[in-house]
Amino acid sequence: MAEGHTQVIAATPVREVDRDAAEGLAATPAIDARDLTKRYGKVEAVRGIKLEVRPREIFGLIGPDGAGKTSTFQILAGVMEATSGVANIFGSPAREMRSQTGYLTQSFSLYPDLTVAENIRYCGDLRRISPQQIVARGQQYLRMFDMDRFADRLAGKLSGGMRQKLSLICALVPQPRILLLDEPTTGVDPVSRREFWDALAHLSADGLTILVATPYLDEAERCHRIAFMHQGQILQIGSSTELCASLNAKRIELRTPDLRKTESILASHSGPDDDILDVQRFGDRLDLLVRDPDQAQQQVTEELTRAGVSIEEMHVDQPTLENTFVARLRALGQDLHSSEFPSRHNHSSLRGQIAIDAKSLLKDFDGFTAVKNVSLQIRNGEVYGLLGANGAGKTTTIRMLCGLLEPTGGSMELAGATGNLRSEAVRKRIGYMSQKFSLYDDLSIRQNLDFFAGVYGVPDAEREEKIRWVLSFSGLEGKQDQLTGSLPGGWKQRVAFGAAILHEPDILFLDEPTSGVDPLARRAFWTMINRLADTGAAILVTTHYLEEAEQCNRLGMMVAGELVAEGTPSGIKSRQTGHLLQLIVDQPQRAVDLLKHTTEGWRVSLFGERLHLITEDAPEIAIQQTTQQLEAAGLRVFSAREDRFSLEDVFISIVEKARLEGKVSLEK
Amino acid sequence: MRRILAQSRKELTQIVRDWRTLALALALPLVMLLLMSAALSLTVYDLPIIVQDFDGSSASNHFIDVFRASITFHVIAWPVDKPAEAALASNAARAVLIIPPHFGRDQASGVNSPVQLIVDASDANTAKLVSGDALQIANAYNQQIAAPAPVQAAFRLWFNPGLSSKKFYGPGVFVLALSMFPPLLAGLAMARESEQKTILQVYVSSISAHEFLLGKIFAFMVVALGEAVVMSAFLFTYFGLTFAGDPTPVFVATILYTFCVASFGTMIGVKIPNQTAAMQVVALGGFLLVFLLSGLMFPVQNIPIGLRWISNFVWGRYFIEIVRDALLQGGGWPAVWYKVIFIGIIGSIFYLLAWNGMRKMQVKS
Repeated sequence: MAEGHTQVIAATPVREVDRDAAEGLAATPAIDARDLTKRYGKVEAVRGIKLEVRPREIFGLIGPDGAGKTSTFQILAGVMEATSGVANIFGSPAREMRSQTGYLTQSFSLYPDLTVAENIRYCGDLRRISPQQIVARGQQYLRMFDMDRFADRLAGKLSGGMRQKLSLICALVPQPRILLLDEPTTGVDPVSRREFWDALAHLSADGLTILVATPYLDEAERCHRIAFMHQGQILQIGSSTELCASLNAKRIELRTPDLRKTESILASHSGPDDDILDVQRFGDRLDLLVRDPDQAQQQVTEELTRAGVSIEEMHVDQPTLENTFVARLRALGQDLHSSEFPSRHNHSSLRGQIAIDAKSLLKDFDGFTAVKNVSLQIRNGEVYGLLGANGAGKTTTIRMLCGLLEPTGGSMELAGATGNLRSEAVRKRIGYMSQKFSLYDDLSIRQNLDFFAGVYGVPDAEREEKIRWVLSFSGLEGKQDQLTGSLPGGWKQRVAFGAAILHEPDILFLDEPTSGVDPLARRAFWTMINRLADTGAAILVTTHYLEEAEQCNRLGMMVAGELVAEGTPSGIKSRQTGHLLQLIVDQPQRAVDLLKHTTEGWRVSLFGERLHLITEDAPEIAIQQTTQQLEAAGLRVFSAREDRFSLEDVFISIVEKARLEGKVSLEK
Repeated sequence: MRRILAQSRKELTQIVRDWRTLALALALPLVMLLLMSAALSLTVYDLPIIVQDFDGSSASNHFIDVFRASITFHVIAWPVDKPAEAALASNAARAVLIIPPHFGRDQASGVNSPVQLIVDASDANTAKLVSGDALQIANAYNQQIAAPAPVQAAFRLWFNPGLSSKKFYGPGVFVLALSMFPPLLAGLAMARESEQKTILQVYVSSISAHEFLLGKIFAFMVVALGEAVVMSAFLFTYFGLTFAGDPTPVFVATILYTFCVASFGTMIGVKIPNQTAAMQVVALGGFLLVFLLSGLMFPVQNIPIGLRWISNFVWGRYFIEIVRDALLQGGGWPAVWYKVIFIGIIGSIFYLLAWNGMRKMQVKS
């Protein structure tokens, strides 16, 4: 796969779009939206936005769930009429320019019962591309995304990452001049996401204009410019640096042995009028947004010393886009002020007991081994994170652990039961939130909650307050009679999460609970997860946000159906060999491409504007060599220093190393 | 044209991929044909009848023998002192024949002698057949013993001389199956596009509503024609049907009818973007209307006047008349030309309604 990366660059097709023509049009904006509004009945989804995207720009659209992003995309793609206003693509109405736009919807719009090749063929045919060209371009892109092996696979049997790439190929085959990507990476693992963004960077360099919405803000940092959308309006447009600078604050990275305690101490001393503006949990550290770093550092030291918390590390840096986003949303009053969870059952007596005990689990599907020899033990009071790329076997493992799927081999113990894991007594004690929404779209929110309260046997006396809590947690008070199907994805997730814990299970399975949820709501999810663990619940959670995974007590990483690493987050990170260099350069994407030519692909990755390089050499020597190499190619290196490994760095290197060892069977 | 073909190819690939549904759509009509022809009968055989003979003369015995000889009836002995109603109430018999005590004497003296026939009419159709048959048997008896009447009616049954139910229901099931399965598949396929949001991909391309719909409809016409071929093979072999006259009207009508039903299904799918609901509406239209109001089961003349006008709009009605004409009467073009046109008109209306729903090729807000 490392070779795969270098091939990505080598195989980048020479696009037939005439570059000169594209540049000649530079005066005309690629996308021009003015006073755009969209109303659904009484609801105003888009409220007079103004947006101008230049040719060859990667333009990001960020905003909380339900900000009106999807409506904007549908109007620009020409598949929905605006209520009023102008939506032009290269100077002509979007509707007439459909042949120039490629649109990736949130649901990908693929036909699950057609094969990869048939999906591509149909897309090309719809756009009147000649059959020879469809085949030629299709193969070219399939090779570029390392998917040519799967041409005859049914689209419905692809993993999330593959589906996303296929829909991108379908959009690219007609060679559009504009790509509209509506949260293309939701539910996609970090490795695939990274490859996807590398591909986007090359496409934009080749002349394509890209408008992309994403809930991953480290991705958004790779956009040239970003618009921050909120309640149907665009509040701010600028480059990532400009947006961050507009906060007028510095960031202090703080590491202590007890982050949760530190967070609650510092949060009580923060606010818009204090020195510390905001405290945000981010992975294994706290990010403090402060006006005056010196004064704030002094205050932090004092407060923590008083509380007896030691400081492991503290340093000052620029705020990231995610910091900015979260701070802005909090300032707009978007924080979820949910009422206290009405806990009626305390599981603390169970604390420390073994809730889940799996030994050598094995699952075969028609000769394909999805899960091999997985053993894990989870105790009450513990949050266990199961990480892995799409198709690594996480969902299959979860289904076996909660008794939904019979393992082919191995033994299982769940809540003390070994035989019938589906008995009523066991089922009452477990909660399961599946990856795909487990809510009924055609019921109202209230009806869904009533239903789940009923099937899980929540006592009548507790029902009302529990349901009220879910509504408050989801920020949907007063909207309980809305049809669930009409909710934006992120809100459905909130309701589904609430429904899964209504009956206060003491064993909880959460399969990608935060996928597609905005950063603020994700933080609320994790606060809740931690609180449930504190009351003695055993929790197994999967996520593609690896900074979230830092909050787990223990982690297991799966590759190709096997558990390849297990331990505490810091334990796993400490086992990583080599050193991590963080470089800030003027052209990050070019730097990545350059470095990938001289070193294995997995060693280089972009986090927003920061470039991470994993090296086995001594850090000082590696910094010197890399700087020389980049400067020789005409790039400017602003800073280079050794940094700690993030969980994401470790994850990518574990997955990529395993792939190099021949475990490519990530797919059936 | 290329996009129409591309659309059709995609639909057909999906249909073939879902081979279970396809097999069901092809096999179910055959099962229906077998069941309908075996279970539904136009004639009555071996019906239990009791005879209460209060006369006991040789004449009455002779009269009973005539009934015994009929294949319609199966005479059961019943004591004279037991009330006949009990036999009907207990379902021991479906009819009672009562011969009065003076039967033989009346015969001898040449006086008309009434006999009583009581028929269980809880099943009206059978009751009608039973009474008709009994009357015929009585007539036959009269002729045996009396001089030939001056005028004698001779019945001849044309087109289906054996009153074979196979010949009557075979064509009916052929029409019914074509009215049900292809539109069901078409409706589901169309509703699925909206449900799975794949329709967005179609909208974002510049394919026109006509190209999109024609491509879809063409694919389901192919399915329907395939079904028609399979069923005709069955009708011509197992059912022993042959063309009674010029087969070209039925060929043209079949093609138009497949267009009509595929358009019907697609139109429902466009109007109702939900698979379950679309399925129910198609089943209602395809099955109930065609089954009940087309003359397939019950003669159109038997439908109450208040509802009869509806049958003029039921597409199946014209097709069943054309199919029966081709297989039984053989009237050819002069007899059915306008019915062929009606099918085309109704199909076009469905198509236009579907087009009207898709015309904008945009998300409805």
